[in-house]
Amino acid sequence: MNRFIQYSITFFAWISGIILVASLTLLLAFLIYKGIGSLNLFLIFGETKPMDVLLMRKEVLDGLFPAIVGTILLITASIVWAIPIGVASGIYLAEYCNLRWKPFFNFMLDLLAGVPSILVGLFGFSLSIFLHRHLSEHIYPCFLISSMALACLVLPYIIRTTEQALVNLPFSVKTTGLALGASRLQNILFILIPYNLSRIISGIILAIGRCAEDTAVIMLTGVVAMAGIPHSLLAKYEALPFYIFYISSDYNSQEELMKGFGACIILLAVCAVFFTLANILKRKAEIRFATRL
Amino acid sequence: MLPAYRRDAAVKESKIRIDGLKFYYKKRMVLKEINGELEEGAITTIVGPSGVGKTTLLMVLNRLYESMPDCRVKGRVEMKLNGRYVDIHKLPVTLLRKQIGMVFQVPNPLPMSIYKNVAFPLKLANVKDKIIIEERIQEALIDAFLWDEVKDRLNRSALELSGGQQQRLCIARAMIMRPEVLLLDEPTSSLDMEAALKITRLLVDLKKRCTLVVVSHYADLTRRISDHVLTLKDGYLSTNSKMMAATEKNNPTEDIEYGYAKNQGAWNCQKLSK
Repeated sequence: MNRFIQYSITFFAWISGIILVASLTLLLAFLIYKGIGSLNLFLIFGETKPMDVLLMRKEVLDGLFPAIVGTILLITASIVWAIPIGVASGIYLAEYCNLRWKPFFNFMLDLLAGVPSILVGLFGFSLSIFLHRHLSEHIYPCFLISSMALACLVLPYIIRTTEQALVNLPFSVKTTGLALGASRLQNILFILIPYNLSRIISGIILAIGRCAEDTAVIMLTGVVAMAGIPHSLLAKYEALPFYIFYISSDYNSQEELMKGFGACIILLAVCAVFFTLANILKRKAEIRFATRL
Repeated sequence: MLPAYRRDAAVKESKIRIDGLKFYYKKRMVLKEINGELEEGAITTIVGPSGVGKTTLLMVLNRLYESMPDCRVKGRVEMKLNGRYVDIHKLPVTLLRKQIGMVFQVPNPLPMSIYKNVAFPLKLANVKDKIIIEERIQEALIDAFLWDEVKDRLNRSALELSGGQQQRLCIARAMIMRPEVLLLDEPTSSLDMEAALKITRLLVDLKKRCTLVVVSHYADLTRRISDHVLTLKDGYLSTNSKMMAATEKNNPTEDIEYGYAKNQGAWNCQKLSK
């Protein structure tokens, strides 16, 4: 190949990497610069004493604490829905699916991955109205509906990463267990999944990120500005991304806007905690797979 | 019972009988008409040019081909189990694969400890008793000439072992279920000479415990320790008596070691027979 082209491709690759890292750093620096001033216990707990809140003695009325708890619960619930369904679907697509049906399923999956989040939200909203009319008067848009709709939104990430991880395994690995007398299910559980755990967890991390940031879905399915910590699955709740959204769209003073920046930093921290947890789990599982029975 | 004209006079007691076996990959016929018998407690080597379907034939014997898409098999393969010949396609596949162990061309230890690797088939068979597991591990590793090298580091990763040790580990892993047949797909071709020699000597020893079927290319060592050599060519299998010369000696490995010592010059017989 032409030398010039070679060099320019290398140059372009370097520049892209640098721009990416630089913009991310800039973004984080900007957030921290703006938000660090408002980041204190008052922002989280308001006028209430932190110990009272943590021991569930009093509710926080003017702090972010309910929103933080809401986001954490929401991410956990959505992931709890999405992991078993997603991993199982991925395994089905990679191992069991009939070759004739596979293109159909793949098409549907791509379609699901391409659905804008506001549509998923709308679907959740319609579902809650349907259930309200036909099942029970007590069902409104709520935490349960939100978490299920979010799970739908992130399912494609988990399904795809699981499926790709399994499909791309070399034939020799796939047959190792089978040749030793493993049944198909044993092969999947004892070899294929442990082999691919780190990739599957990467998919889950992507899904966690998406759950944490999504506003459109929860806006239509039950998040409100002032609800406190949800007391049941059918209750309304608060969430950080929604707080950030409304504070930035109608703030009354500069101070309120600064609170929004503080909330951004907290949201990032929540995500970081989840990612770290996922990585620790991954490390633990790898070690368990590698050492003595 | 096979008709008389199909029987191989050299085979005394057959462990596996193949009758009119055809193998299709998609529309292509890879194995056209395979007939033959594999002698019990002997080493049968299958040789042939590459791409002719030797590995495929092994995969038919333990039905591993079933995990590949677009494969079809016609014909009958019978294995002697408890004195009776059973059609392998009528056995539950997991049971069959516990009776017929397989070792691949490239050693494929799982990324776990040595202990876990060897114990893996027991885990699949739901054996929970620790004492039995440890007994069987020791037995299998001794069978595979690996015990002395690894007995102090069973908890270390199997991937730390050398290529030859990994291959012997795979043999131990296959032997832990006490299979009646062991299939080996060019077991020495990815190894250096010394490791290959060790494996070859091991195979002669394993003959006491099970029937061995080895796929090998022409220049391989294993051909010289085999009791029967079958040639696979153009989708047909035939016996090849010319290649059996080495088997008439009492101690075939000695012959190999001597041969290598002579050919290589640098090989030291003393060291090898240690």
